[in-house]
Amino acid sequence: MRSLVRRDAVERDMNDEMRLHLERAVERLVERGLSPADARAEARREFGNVGYIQEEARDARGVRWIDEILRDVRYAIRGLRRKPGFALAVITTLALGIGANATMFGIVDRLLFRPPNYLAAPDRSHRIYFARFIDGSERFGQSFQYQRFLDLRRSSTTMEALAAYSARRLAVGSGENSREIRVGAASASLWHLFDARPVIGRFFTVDEDGEPNGARVVVLSFGYWESQYASSHAVLGTTITIGPASYTVIGVAPRGFAGVQLETPDAFIPIGMAAVDDLGSDWTRERATYALNWLELYGRRKPGVTVEGANADLSAALRESYLKQIALDLRAAPIGILKPRVVLGSVLAERGPRRSADARVATWLLGVTGIVLLIACANVGNLLLASALGRRREIAVRVALGVSRGRLIGQLLIESMTLAALGAFAGLVLTQSGGQLLRRVLLPSVDWPNAITDRRIALVATLSAIIAGLLASVTPVVQAMKTDVISALKTGGRDGKKGGTGGRSSLRDALTFVQVTLSVMLLIGAGLFVRSVVNVSHLRLGYDADRMLLVETHLRGVAMDPVQKLALRRALMERAATTRDIESATLVCTVPFYGTCSGGVFVDGVDSTNRLGEFVKQSASPTYFATTGTRLLRGRAFLANDRAGGPLVVVVSDAMARALWPAADALGKCVRVRSATAPCRTVVGIVESERLANMDDDASFVYYVPDAQTTDVEWGDPQRVRLYVRVRGDAAAYTNAIRSGLQSAIPASAYLVVRPMASVLAPVTRSWRLGAWLFAAFGALALILAAIGLYSVVAYSVAQRTHEIGVRIAIGARLGDVTGLVVRDGFRVVVPGVAMGMGVALAGGRWLRPLLFQVSSRDPWVFAAVAAVLIAVALLASWLPAARACRVDPATALRSD
Amino acid sequence: MPRSKTALLQGTLDLIVLQLLQAEPTNGYDLTLRIQATSKDVLNVNAGSLYPALYRLEERGLIRAEWESTEKGRRAKVYSLTAGGRKHLADERETWQRFSGALAAILRTT
Repeated sequence: MRSLVRRDAVERDMNDEMRLHLERAVERLVERGLSPADARAEARREFGNVGYIQEEARDARGVRWIDEILRDVRYAIRGLRRKPGFALAVITTLALGIGANATMFGIVDRLLFRPPNYLAAPDRSHRIYFARFIDGSERFGQSFQYQRFLDLRRSSTTMEALAAYSARRLAVGSGENSREIRVGAASASLWHLFDARPVIGRFFTVDEDGEPNGARVVVLSFGYWESQYASSHAVLGTTITIGPASYTVIGVAPRGFAGVQLETPDAFIPIGMAAVDDLGSDWTRERATYALNWLELYGRRKPGVTVEGANADLSAALRESYLKQIALDLRAAPIGILKPRVVLGSVLAERGPRRSADARVATWLLGVTGIVLLIACANVGNLLLASALGRRREIAVRVALGVSRGRLIGQLLIESMTLAALGAFAGLVLTQSGGQLLRRVLLPSVDWPNAITDRRIALVATLSAIIAGLLASVTPVVQAMKTDVISALKTGGRDGKKGGTGGRSSLRDALTFVQVTLSVMLLIGAGLFVRSVVNVSHLRLGYDADRMLLVETHLRGVAMDPVQKLALRRALMERAATTRDIESATLVCTVPFYGTCSGGVFVDGVDSTNRLGEFVKQSASPTYFATTGTRLLRGRAFLANDRAGGPLVVVVSDAMARALWPAADALGKCVRVRSATAPCRTVVGIVESERLANMDDDASFVYYVPDAQTTDVEWGDPQRVRLYVRVRGDAAAYTNAIRSGLQSAIPASAYLVVRPMASVLAPVTRSWRLGAWLFAAFGALALILAAIGLYSVVAYSVAQRTHEIGVRIAIGARLGDVTGLVVRDGFRVVVPGVAMGMGVALAGGRWLRPLLFQVSSRDPWVFAAVAAVLIAVALLASWLPAARACRVDPATALRSD
Repeated sequence: MPRSKTALLQGTLDLIVLQLLQAEPTNGYDLTLRIQATSKDVLNVNAGSLYPALYRLEERGLIRAEWESTEKGRRAKVYSLTAGGRKHLADERETWQRFSGALAAILRTT
């Protein structure tokens, strides 16, 4: 071992010794009478080959293996330079496989493994959830009230830091120029969860976080500071208008700091101030009650406290807090039924009890990219095998000259490892650029690490490269071990074993079979996801989302009394009526998948409507059903004289009518809204059910109350006025026109947010779209790789059988026969591969089931389509070389070696 | 390829080197002269075989090497036996005696 370390010294030592030996030999020969020149020649001849001796000497010393490896690597690189096409093919294939793998790993890592940047003590940090029993089953919740947060902070003893956080979108700037930015409203204790230091300035303190007497200070994120202020240090002390108030910039967070969530906010403000600004005068009232759930809680356990201990402590604090809540609100469920408790979960939302489908889909896709990598390795294995077979003569000669098989195998391994290393590097570059695009499309506004410099991704890429290199070298190594020297020397470039009539290598067949199987599996998965997405898009939502926009007025804390709000609503509707692009508009309270106004209903003859499900209230102008395109099934919609003071009416959804009055006609029935003693509302119409909270649920209970008969407090969020607007065309194109058209109807300090309904619904369908896009992309990639693999196998086989084909043509075979021969050859591998792939897909389909939407995992159309595609591709891949085989000139073929 | 021949010679060459170095520590060149002389020109070991053998023995710890200045002011790397080398030599000599005795007995039969 010492020899390795002191290599240079040892080399010099050896050279000196040899030189001295030579000198003395020369001297002796000179003494015996030779001339100096002759003496040197003679001495050298007697000495032998110096280089060889040095090598043997190094070998004896055990230093040789490093030199050998370096030499093999150089040899491999030289070989690659001579065959650039081959090298490019291999490196590209590996880059695609490794790159895809690394990209998906990066995404999964972010969702499931990597703790937020700068988090101190990730193993002791948690997100706090609560659980309670509703309708007999325990459900988890993640939103807390402000008062609850204060109670928990006061009573708990096991947490070192407890922080509240709320992600919001607030307006920056004023009037027409206002834009929305992402703002993180955080308690000052949030900074205690992290090890971050501000780049300039400072973070806010506990004093500034109190309300209503806190300070309006803001900490900017690094990205926002870079893009909006050009990283100028002069930003400290300047003010920005966030929401209704002016905030002073006191610091900038370090690069990569994103708080606790995946998406990076542009700025952080104290939570007390955010609450005051958002609710205005209502805050002082809301603050003391337990009505608004809007906070996420995070905390860090004290060292030495277990998770169970912290859970118990916080649960006790929660119960204490809940008892206080019951004292204030008699309608709250008794604590014995609710049984609330606290559960500490992972900081990563995707690992908590309320995870979305995103993480599961991403994990599946990681498996998919693993399969793509395997297919890529099979392709590379094929290419390396072909190359090794072409070099049989060279290898045979070397074996004959005395290179041990072990050394030979070592060389082959080095070759594939060198290729794999180059492929890995190219793959990382691919991850960086292509992956960037992918991530921006799927999960934008997340702070993704730089792929090339990120340790974990680089590690995964290296591991993939090593595995790929090893797998790809299996075939040439096996081939080398079987090399029969004599026959290889005789037949040279052709497959020796079966003379000129075989040309088939079971090894290559096996590789292609594996490729086809894996491709079929991937494509079936892709097909199922694509069908899910198609199903989702064809869903009858109950409203025409493509033609609708959601308009929200943000009042920015300006307090309005009921009369003013009524005037505002009227002004908006009037303005909408005269705006050219708007076909129809309506006021709304509930927005699907966004916010619901709920309200209990009471029906004579039904004990507890709560048992039947959740009832959603919608306030609607007479133009509502025309705007949404919801079909009226029976009865009538609202008319102009369904106004305040008129007879109380209500329209119900079809599902609600069937649930409440299964045997009778709903029209004319009496519904009491909000309390059992409220006046009767008569059902005047039945409409199709709108999908409001769940894509799977087409039986939602919705009831509609005329807007004129909705009292002020029933409009929900006092700071928002919402409208639906219907346009004559694709909604997305009209966003700006609508915004400028309606701007004049609102007070100057307020601003409008206009969004196409499609973008409101997009997050709901995101996981299906994610799955469909990526599965399809990777499936296509796999198919291309498999097709290339198949083509190369068939082409190689044809090349091997040139002699045989020439003979056949010469003795009279028709071109059709030859083509048939070649194509059958190709299909011999494809058909079993397709069958196997389908078998595996059928068996494994049930794990995919929860991620699909209204598609069976054994959908026959998808299976049939995939089989057809594979057969078509296989035909093409076989036909091309077959066509070339037909053009073979029999004379040349017969003469070929 | 004379690989087998080298293998046989390698075992006996080690024995030769150890024996001669035990008698008197010396450098590589002088060792070749001494082998030639002691075996009365029967054995002629060239540098290509000797130096690898020397390095192998050094790696195994049976001999050690030191650079010395000879009387003529010239530098030479001198090899000598270690304690382990002496023991190994004794063992190898005994093994060789047994082997050659057995071989002689077989050759005496007709």
